[in-house]
Amino acid sequence: MKTPRLRLPRNWLGPAALLVLVLFPFAMALITGQPVTEGAPKFWQGMLAQMFILAVYAMSYDLLLGYTGILSFGHAMFFGTGAYLTGILLKHAGWPLWQVGLAVMAAAVLQSLLVGLLSLRVRGVYLAMVTLAFAQMFFILSEATDFAQWTGAEDGLHSIPAPRWMNPTDERLRFYFISLAFCVAIYLIVRRVVESPAGKVMIAIRENENRAQMIGYNTFVYKLLAVTLSGVLAALSGLMNALWNLNANPTMLSVGVTINALLMTIIGGVGTLVGPMLGAAILQLLGYWLNAFFGPRWPLIFGIVFVLIVLFLPYGVVGTWQMRGASWRSTWAERRRRLAGWANEGGLGRKN
Amino acid sequence: MTDLLRVENIHTFIGQFHILEGVSLSVPAGSITALLGRNGAGKTTTLRSIIGLLSPRAGRIMLDGREIQGRPAYDIAALGIGYVPEHRAVFRDLTVEENLKIAERRKGDLDRRSDLIFDLFPDLKRFIRLPGGQLSGGQQQMLSIARVLVADNRLLLIDEPSEGLAPVIVENIIEALRRLSDHTTVLLVEQNFRMAAQLADRYYILDDGQSVQSGQMAELARDGALVAKYLGAG
Amino acid sequence: MFDVFRRNRPLLVAVLLVALIVFWMSNRYEPKVTANILLSGLTLGALYFLVAAGLSLIFGLMDVLNFAHGLMFMLGAYFGYTVYANPRIILNTLPLMLALGGGAMAGAAPASWVWARLGAAQNKRGALIVVWLLAGALTLAGIWRFDLQSLAANAATVAGGAIATGQAQEAAGALAARLGLLSGAGLALGLALRSREFGPGRSMARNAALGIGLVVLAFAIVPARISGEAFILGLSNNLRFVLALAVGALGGAAIGALTEVGLIRPLYSRPIYQVLLTLGLVYVGTEFIKGVWGPVGYYMDIPDYFNTRGGDCPSPNLLLWFRDHCGSIDVLGRPFPSYRLFIIFLGVAVFIAVAALLRYTRLGMIIRAGVQDREMVQALGINVQWVFTLVFALGTGLAALGGVAAAPFIGVNPGIGQDFLLQSFISVVIGGMGSYPGAAIGTLLVGLARAFGDQLVLSGVQFPGMETAVKLSPSIARASTVLIMAVVLLLRPAGLFGKKE
Repeated sequence: MKTPRLRLPRNWLGPAALLVLVLFPFAMALITGQPVTEGAPKFWQGMLAQMFILAVYAMSYDLLLGYTGILSFGHAMFFGTGAYLTGILLKHAGWPLWQVGLAVMAAAVLQSLLVGLLSLRVRGVYLAMVTLAFAQMFFILSEATDFAQWTGAEDGLHSIPAPRWMNPTDERLRFYFISLAFCVAIYLIVRRVVESPAGKVMIAIRENENRAQMIGYNTFVYKLLAVTLSGVLAALSGLMNALWNLNANPTMLSVGVTINALLMTIIGGVGTLVGPMLGAAILQLLGYWLNAFFGPRWPLIFGIVFVLIVLFLPYGVVGTWQMRGASWRSTWAERRRRLAGWANEGGLGRKN
Repeated sequence: MTDLLRVENIHTFIGQFHILEGVSLSVPAGSITALLGRNGAGKTTTLRSIIGLLSPRAGRIMLDGREIQGRPAYDIAALGIGYVPEHRAVFRDLTVEENLKIAERRKGDLDRRSDLIFDLFPDLKRFIRLPGGQLSGGQQQMLSIARVLVADNRLLLIDEPSEGLAPVIVENIIEALRRLSDHTTVLLVEQNFRMAAQLADRYYILDDGQSVQSGQMAELARDGALVAKYLGAG
Repeated sequence: MFDVFRRNRPLLVAVLLVALIVFWMSNRYEPKVTANILLSGLTLGALYFLVAAGLSLIFGLMDVLNFAHGLMFMLGAYFGYTVYANPRIILNTLPLMLALGGGAMAGAAPASWVWARLGAAQNKRGALIVVWLLAGALTLAGIWRFDLQSLAANAATVAGGAIATGQAQEAAGALAARLGLLSGAGLALGLALRSREFGPGRSMARNAALGIGLVVLAFAIVPARISGEAFILGLSNNLRFVLALAVGALGGAAIGALTEVGLIRPLYSRPIYQVLLTLGLVYVGTEFIKGVWGPVGYYMDIPDYFNTRGGDCPSPNLLLWFRDHCGSIDVLGRPFPSYRLFIIFLGVAVFIAVAALLRYTRLGMIIRAGVQDREMVQALGINVQWVFTLVFALGTGLAALGGVAAAPFIGVNPGIGQDFLLQSFISVVIGGMGSYPGAAIGTLLVGLARAFGDQLVLSGVQFPGMETAVKLSPSIARASTVLIMAVVLLLRPAGLFGKKE
């Protein structure tokens, strides 16, 4: 006689993970015996809060790369601009946080529309280059001494006066829950978007832009939409990041930050939403451990890991997980074909 | 007659699309064999599979009894296969002379063959310094054919040589191909049935990625029903 | 000649714009200032060109956007600087590389013979795993605790002086042991890499002999390290500079070739991943450089040939300069550093050399044909893979050459790669990806714009109705080239010389 298996609802994994994350600080406190607002529990709350922020950033990138098939190398500009604007408005203008949030979103819409209008005129790797150039422009400007009184030039902005009730140092637990809520909310929004008709068009563009155009969609508008949405989300994660670090510096606008987005997306799995979030967690943890092991040169090891993943694990952790089981080989081949097709038709392909 | 080329039941994919679903054919040495079929039947894909620009997932391709499938295109071409693609694919920024020179496999190939080439296509000699992109369509087609004559090729794969050309020029090209067939073996893809009928000894018909019919060209030319069925109005 | 303009309006506009700016400058500034700005622009343009030329060729031929190109420029600068100031690193690491590479060559030669004799596929798989593990273990053992950092840290030398400490160097015995391990690792590696090919390999004996020769050379360098170092440091700094140019360029080319064969080639069916890979390489390479040479920069001095002082200096004209080799030459009454003229000369010389290569050689013909239609080139029986590797090596070699040439001008630090890559990207987008003349024109425009912008921000901008001129920092000039790119993209998305999609 078969033992009856416990049947779980189809999508139990998400709520379960959420539950684990909600209970995490208290479980941690219970295990270590330390109070929930101090010591190891506090430290790990910080780690996780950073993961949530990075997860939003990674999701915003995957909306471009994984769902619309746009390879942008300028994502750091939205993240960094969000962080800088938060810092400047809080520190120099003294605005309340909700106004800052609106301003960051408005600025991100403007910025991504501008960059999108210019860079979407080209495709494929051209677009990557052009977006990189724009991002570098912001990076250079952030270091420029001309705006030092607002941006602090190379030093960046320090001790941003975040509202006391969510100060990450004093109110770590509250910050933890705020960033968790932030991450979950954005996840739900993005999931809603990619499952909406507009999201379907984006995926169609990724699969074959010409075909999507022939069916009658104005692909430019949808790509612009994707760029804008992705820019706004990245800027919001930049805002959260500024609140977490209480500073904004030129590093947040550098290519390294864009590479991080790529890393998280590729490691986790392109074209999924869970993938980038998982990638963010892996990046954060791996960075922490590699730093403990190898000291300040850990990015070297990290880069090597990235290169190996690109060579040998192109579908990331989630992608590879989805391909497990009996249909391993056929799914693998199918994915490979789809990937090749996607790349070919995205204007990156070989010449005929 | 021995078969120079044998294609046995090949299956070729482009992206996720299964284009060739079992194509078999054989080309006897010294013949002109026509590959016929409607648009999208898989004629061009067959040629590209033979030359190695596409790799068949299954089946065998043998040149002179030697398996060649799966090898890189440059390797297969170096065994003595010349490919004249559709739309000519002349190098636009290279001069006519460079277009020919690039096809050399040994130094001096072009000098050895220039008499033959310029005898077949006197136009090319006149425009030897002109960039390929400035030639007319017919001249580009001639250049594209001349290009595979530079090196010693045992087998020529020629894809739609008459496409988009004026009748007078088509006549020229037919004449040239006829003279060529004395030296070499040709597998010819052609939509223009009249042209194919004038040139070819044997034929294969492809339909939906499969080889469905083959035989002597002379018989096919008499069989109006068959032509109508697979090739549309002849 | 003027036909080009008729077909290409934006190019005409660009040329007119440059002419207008030059005219405006000559009205606003004295001629000597204008000349100075133009020459500075040409200097920058020449350096950008050295990076952009390879970038554009590689993209044109194989559709690979090499984000690691700036890294190659930087590596070139570091290699050159190392040869110039601290040959000890080279003399200690070169044998290691020779041993590994030579071992691999020697190991690959009999590989097909060995694998053919192993019989069943089962045996083969097991043996292959063992050989791979052996290669890995021997390599690790060979480089275990090899102290590259302290070798580099002792670099600080004055021109012509000796390297301060002798401790950084390992004893000859220890180094020889490493060489033994690494040549063993190489043998295993060669064996493993060739396991899939069957049938007799071509020129087996020659490869084996060459490989063994390289290993012998590696061992021969060990006892000659000290005298070799003294010899190189004893050379005049002019000769060392020439050596630096050669080693930098060749080193860059070698790394480029290895990158193409080992990392890029497996990914031709997945273009996006190629780009990601080169981006990852930037990450790895930059960290590697920071790890070995440290995060701070170095200055490489200008060789004496371009740096004589006193006497009749600055030289009143180019002819007298050839007699005196002054540090600067008088241009319309204002001295201009002669080393920068050398950079301009180098840029022009490379432009002509590569143009001649493209125009008159068979390789050039294949490249030009491949840019238009790669498949057709293959179908003619030309081994495109090999051409790809060559072009990749050529491109990275040129970038590395630019890096060495730039070192005495801008210094050597881990940030130069990124800046030069960015400006070259912008140049190439302006000129049109994949077009060689486009790369030249684009870099010229960007170089001039940078020089002009620098002058403008330094002397201040005064808009009508403003009391005083606004002084800006050079960063603004750096950022402004992005705006030029934006304008060109708006007018002509494919760039000035690019073909429409």
